[in-house]
Amino acid sequence: MNIIKKPSWQIDESEITSKELFDKRRTFLKLGAASMIAGSSIVEALAKDNIPIANLKYIKDKNINNLKLNTYDQITSYNNFYEFTTSKEKVKPLSHTLKTENWKIEIDGLVEKPMTVDFDDLMKKFALEERVYRFRCVEGWSMVVPWIGFTLADLIKYIKPLSSAKYVRFETLEDPVMFPDQRRGVLSTISYPYVEGLRMDEAMNNLTLMAVGLYGSSMPKQNGAPIRLVVPWKYGFKSIKSISRISFTDKEPLSSWQKENPKEYGFYANVNPEVDHPRWSQARERVLGKFFKQKTLMFNGYAKEVAHMYKGMDLTKFI
Amino acid sequence: MKRVLLFIILLIPLGYMSFELFIIQDVKDPIKYIYTVTGATATVILFATISLSLIRKWINLIKYRRMFGLFGFFYALLHFLNFYILDAELDFLFVIEESLDKPFIYLGMISFFILIFMAITSTKKLFKKYNKFHKLIYLVLVLVTIHFIMAQKSLSILQFGYVITILIIAYCKLLQQIINKNKS
Repeated sequence: MNIIKKPSWQIDESEITSKELFDKRRTFLKLGAASMIAGSSIVEALAKDNIPIANLKYIKDKNINNLKLNTYDQITSYNNFYEFTTSKEKVKPLSHTLKTENWKIEIDGLVEKPMTVDFDDLMKKFALEERVYRFRCVEGWSMVVPWIGFTLADLIKYIKPLSSAKYVRFETLEDPVMFPDQRRGVLSTISYPYVEGLRMDEAMNNLTLMAVGLYGSSMPKQNGAPIRLVVPWKYGFKSIKSISRISFTDKEPLSSWQKENPKEYGFYANVNPEVDHPRWSQARERVLGKFFKQKTLMFNGYAKEVAHMYKGMDLTKFI
Repeated sequence: MKRVLLFIILLIPLGYMSFELFIIQDVKDPIKYIYTVTGATATVILFATISLSLIRKWINLIKYRRMFGLFGFFYALLHFLNFYILDAELDFLFVIEESLDKPFIYLGMISFFILIFMAITSTKKLFKKYNKFHKLIYLVLVLVTIHFIMAQKSLSILQFGYVITILIIAYCKLLQQIINKNKS
């Protein structure tokens, strides 16, 4: 008889942890630990709001500043996305024409190797984390958003720009089929493509996020799917949506609003309660969902992390 | 009867706004929303007020001109109260500072004060004495149009449409003035 005897050390195939899972063990541990510390704020919000089921894996933000999150409905129903319309309430119903499948980002300028990256590849490459940030619009309203993404610094390290690169320039996709205002030619609200930029140290700051989702799920179209910038200490218009091109330059890029109205909008656009917009005060802000206004904080409350980058600069001039 | 009907029609924007704010309760940024509705309504009614003489051949509403004007003032008052009570939270000094400092604000303020003056002097007795000053409505309309344009970050196609409508009304008024002058 030929009986195969299993050596004592051998275990069943079915009990072996797959390589994939084994490689993810640290992420798994982090997720577990993070979910224990995670505040109840999200859980609470999930319960009473129509939030899509979370489809992203990420490390939760501990929200140490105890910021009160705006609801999913508020965040996704009040958007400035001029490619669709200037009406903040109407972006949501119009945004379905934005197609994000097979999204590509062109990377060029002062880099070791210009390339085109697939958004899906980026998602595999970088671990995601949640960042609960204040979001302050130049128009005087604000909200608190639980973004999900990876730092721009991580992306830049992967891209490897040349040492001569001093600025990063971003473009929103230009596609008249998807964006109605881009079909209007000379009658369009602003000129396209929408352009934004950061100085290299701002881009490398740990707060600067490439956001791919919010409230645990993929970025809604009206909020700038599939990938957008989030620079929490600057006015909202710096946080460019639906990015299709990233370039590295040695000259300060001319951003869209600067081009539109250089007297009112500068390259920096740091949130500053002491420097008014020429047409209205920036001292206070209307938090969506709150009846009373609240004081706007210097650098939107992130002075500790970013103020050093602007030392010696006259912030009334570099607006 | 006509008067009652017009009265109700002119109250529709206020009714609609209150419905959205208090019944539906889905307005994301109420202060901004109140600015938009009251400001747009005041502007439309004031332009309608001066247009009544243009359309009298077809519909003669000229005897309701005072009512139109007063409603325009009423919505401008709500617009101002939104600024003073909700936006500035009764900070009188802030309102004064902003009014002196920012063209966007003082254009609106000047218009508002002219409208107060016109509303007060719109009674039969006072109107006899002050009616020549009521031509100031044209100044108000110019200032209000600039104020409206300045309230936008950038003009959308729809807002271009509003501005063009305003220019057409202005052109018709001018034409009317010239014709009237030639007649006399």
